[in-house]
Amino acid sequence: MTFVVTENCIKCKYMDCVEVCPVDCFYEGDNMLVINPDECIDCGVCEPECPAEAIFPDTQPGLESWLTLNAEYASVWPNIAIKRPEPADAKAFDGVAGKLRQLKLLPPATRLDVASDRH
Amino acid sequence: MTSSTEKLNHISEDSIRRLVDAFYVKVRLDPELAPIFARAIPGDWQPHLTKMYAFWSSVMLTTGRYKGNPVVKHLVIPDIRLHLFERWLTLFDETCGELFDETMREQFRTKAVRIAESLKLALFYRPDRRWPLEPGE
Repeated sequence: MTFVVTENCIKCKYMDCVEVCPVDCFYEGDNMLVINPDECIDCGVCEPECPAEAIFPDTQPGLESWLTLNAEYASVWPNIAIKRPEPADAKAFDGVAGKLRQLKLLPPATRLDVASDRH
Repeated sequence: MTSSTEKLNHISEDSIRRLVDAFYVKVRLDPELAPIFARAIPGDWQPHLTKMYAFWSSVMLTTGRYKGNPVVKHLVIPDIRLHLFERWLTLFDETCGELFDETMREQFRTKAVRIAESLKLALFYRPDRRWPLEPGE
């Protein structure tokens, strides 16, 4: 079992989860984070820390596609273990519907060097 | 004055330290768990205990003090078996019951059971086998 990052993280990306995660299982895309299900130990510490309430246990129904997305991009994006400031417009996107269309599949532009080092 | 037999009712770094210390005394006396741990920690136990204070502090107090990869750490333990997780949980819950009030004991048990389940899946789950496995497998 694992926790899963879902749609409301997109363009909010607060990163509070990263600070509390004991096992550093978050991976960073340009405008979203995901959890590596193989590294998450299901401790649940991140869930209440997320200001966007975007993190859920995978036991909750209807999250299959998000679990797949988390697993897929955790293997592509670089690991993130230290919180940085959220995007300046994070609050404006909190709760906005249909953000999946705005998901950027690339690693964060500022960290392309990190991504290329790892893969 | 609090009596020495009064149960702790507040999660703190101190209560976590007391839990970890008392729990690993039990582990090191347990016929099933002791040999596994003795092989994994052949020398000084204090670094492991300190790491476990940090782990439970991260999990129960969200301090972010522990950073590690427990899945990998468990994968490399020879002779690790599914039923040992149940034994671990029994001793852990027993220790919580000796030190903590029921509310606090339940908070620790809930987390420990979930983390154990997650580690069991990581170590023993295969897509071509039924899950859960029977104890003893």
